[in-house]
Amino acid sequence: MSDNAARRLSRMFYRISIAIEAGKDHLSDLDGAIGDADHGITMSLGFMAVNAELAKLNLDETQPSEVFTAAASAFLDAVGASTGPLYAAAFRRAAQALKQDECLSAADQAMIVEAMTTGIKERGKGQRGDKTMLDAWIPATEAAVNARARSAGCLEMWNSILEAAEAGANSTRSMVAARGRAARLGERSLGHMDPGAASAVIILRAMKDTFGEGEPAR
Amino acid sequence: MTVKTSSARKNGTVRAGAEAASEPIPLRYGDDPYVWACWLYYEDHMTQGDIAEIMGISRATVNSYLADARARGIVNISLEPSRLSSLSIAQELKRHFGLHDCLVVPSDDNTRPLIDRLGGAAAQALAKLLKSGDTLAVAWGRTILAIGEQASVPGLQDVTIVQATGGTAASFAYTPELCASAIAGAVKAKLINITAPAVVSTAEVRDMLLRETLIQSQFGALAKANKALFGISSLRPNSTIHTSGFFESVSLQQYLAKDAVGVVAGRFIDGQGKPVAGPLDDRTIGISLDMLKAISLRIAVAGGFDKVPAILATLRGGYVNVLITDAATGRGILNADGVTELDQKLSQRPRVDNTVALPSNFRTHIKKFLNDPNDVVEEMLDGVVKANATYVMPIKGSHRALVARTGPRPGKVGLVVGGGTGHEPCFLGYVGKGLADAVAVGNIFSSPPPGTIFQCANAASGGQGVLFVYGNYAGDVMNFEMAAEIAAEHNIEVRTVVTTDDIASSPLEDREGRRGVAGNFFMFKIAGAACDRGLSLDACEAMTRKANARTFTMGVALEPCSMPQTRRQNFEIGPDDIEIGMGIHGEPGVLREKMMSADAITDRIMDRIFSEMKPAAGDRVAVLVNSFGATPLMELYILFRRVEQRLSAKDITIEANWVGHYCTSLDMVGASITVMHLDSELTELLHHPCDTAVLRIG
Repeated sequence: MSDNAARRLSRMFYRISIAIEAGKDHLSDLDGAIGDADHGITMSLGFMAVNAELAKLNLDETQPSEVFTAAASAFLDAVGASTGPLYAAAFRRAAQALKQDECLSAADQAMIVEAMTTGIKERGKGQRGDKTMLDAWIPATEAAVNARARSAGCLEMWNSILEAAEAGANSTRSMVAARGRAARLGERSLGHMDPGAASAVIILRAMKDTFGEGEPAR
Repeated sequence: MTVKTSSARKNGTVRAGAEAASEPIPLRYGDDPYVWACWLYYEDHMTQGDIAEIMGISRATVNSYLADARARGIVNISLEPSRLSSLSIAQELKRHFGLHDCLVVPSDDNTRPLIDRLGGAAAQALAKLLKSGDTLAVAWGRTILAIGEQASVPGLQDVTIVQATGGTAASFAYTPELCASAIAGAVKAKLINITAPAVVSTAEVRDMLLRETLIQSQFGALAKANKALFGISSLRPNSTIHTSGFFESVSLQQYLAKDAVGVVAGRFIDGQGKPVAGPLDDRTIGISLDMLKAISLRIAVAGGFDKVPAILATLRGGYVNVLITDAATGRGILNADGVTELDQKLSQRPRVDNTVALPSNFRTHIKKFLNDPNDVVEEMLDGVVKANATYVMPIKGSHRALVARTGPRPGKVGLVVGGGTGHEPCFLGYVGKGLADAVAVGNIFSSPPPGTIFQCANAASGGQGVLFVYGNYAGDVMNFEMAAEIAAEHNIEVRTVVTTDDIASSPLEDREGRRGVAGNFFMFKIAGAACDRGLSLDACEAMTRKANARTFTMGVALEPCSMPQTRRQNFEIGPDDIEIGMGIHGEPGVLREKMMSADAITDRIMDRIFSEMKPAAGDRVAVLVNSFGATPLMELYILFRRVEQRLSAKDITIEANWVGHYCTSLDMVGASITVMHLDSELTELLHHPCDTAVLRIG
């Protein structure tokens, strides 16, 4: 079994699914504090659907961009909700970005993070400080861009991406929600971490685990 | 593992020991030494040596009694099938391929043929999976026959077994007829055979046979199947497919040349699970791959390393959602699909320790009528489609998109509503003549995806445009906007009115930011009437906007709701607290107060409504007192009583009122009060006839 780029991405989605599943109850509890308590369920449903869809692909003849495209529609069709369009937009953007260069180099990996963030930003019309998943994704993108600028190695880049995302997610505790259902709570949303930012950290950590292990020796 | 002896448990034990040794068999065992020996061994956990002493026989005889008792069915050992799904390989297969369930038989020392072991596991699984009233389509093969020989599923009513393919004159033991009849015998079910050959000489013969009334009625029974049981055949040289003589070998070679790797229910598929076209296709009489895919529970039983590519293809093609296989094959499938190394990670997942001492009356789970919590939406929709069959029907077979039977018509603006589930009868109860033309249904409290919404728009379109009306939530807005973009690409003009009647959710300055709640009932009614009267898209939109601007809702929750998946309350509320301004998703309210009287709560709500509505004496209104799910009508009428008092004190007339469950939040305890401030146009549209499952006027 040759390990190609599509296969690595498929493994990445598989890891995300396992990690989200493990954190499902925690995410739903976070959401219960300021939303409708279904974030964990929704995310787990979405990534299970992505896995099932990717299992139908012949990964030996699939480009990484096609993996992201398939993931986008599978996630959206299974989920709807607000996370559906947001992550579908993220995956579609990543697919577009990868079409120029499908080799999944460190630069491509940074580009994926950046493109996903752009997709979420465009679809949700949100920005930093709104107490949403963008409060994890935007700092993660900045860390990726910085790491590329100082020619950091792959593992170093992912460490700084994850660190920035975690700090960003933690900072949502002190924010008042401006978007989504939590926005109606006003200052009562203070003190709670945004569940969307928490799941973004889980996703980025699974991406780090996949890309950080480098090219498997085969 | 449970061990059952066929005698009932008695109180005494046989620890009387050696003095009983020379006694004849105690009365309670009758005169059956097998039952006596088994009881002592399985229930009293004595050694074979002790038993020999008590019964006054040799140890070898005890041993043979125990073996015979197994063979004669006096002792049944059963393994709980769910335990087999707990193996990590089963879990990985389930996750990787998005299966409904997966059972993996542990690998053993090959003392028993794999087919027998798979048959045994599937036989036990069948006893769990099959329910009264089911129609099970059964394909053929050695594994299927092994299941039939080992299965025993007593106690079910009205089960029908339908042979999934035509029959064969071949001389082997596992023909389609015999397989179906073995399963039917094991279940004591009604059997329907397909009384035509599985493969006929020409396409013309097939078409002629399919036109026969008898065959048609048999296919009608097959089309009703809600569960299917089949094996998976490989196309490798020594497989059943070649040795059985079921298919002509010339034809097989042609399928092989086109990269077919497996056969499912007599149909050929390639490595990606796509159908492979070949010479037998239009000469085959039996279930098609599309028919198979439409069956909700599709149980495939297959194992053996040579079958890995065929099973993988079946999984990729989505023909199976319950897989029963063995550990070695399961691992092979995962490896073949590039899943490696991950099983270690799975087993290292931290376990949550829930051993904190809790009072004995503490409940961790809310009781609900559920089968599988993950199936709640699908199963509810199944019920809705049947219960409301006179009003709605699925669009292209999807229960997530329902269209009114007498709704859309040329020249009329189409009305599409929708949203998450958990609010029943919102939104699907309001589809029918004079109201919504189609409804898009999402997961619990989650917007439907754009594809589903677009299907609704397409079905509702009568050439004059389509109006979307839905509550103001970030998810709904994004998904409906994307659907409107798709509709525009298909030349369907879409206008949107986002409902914002919840006056507690944002201050007046931010009216557009408010959420849509039970007031949807009025907005849908007005929009539906406007569309039904043949008004233009502009006018329909304007009327609905006016209704939204003049509708005011506020809710109060006394107790939280609980999600079916978690069966836990999704937020906490103090024993003496209530949440004012509660939304319909269990989002915490905007303000928490101490519990107060029904009239005091009503007054709090009505004061806020009056301050925004600014009514004048002599005005007319429509009133909705709505339960959030668990609050009974008794209390709703108490609230309505006070609403009426407050309105009449201001000399406001109630033109029409509704009291009951109209827009709920699962099992939340609480209620909302909605007032629509009428004018002559809105009054006229409110009284316009409609006929839906929940609301009928005129």
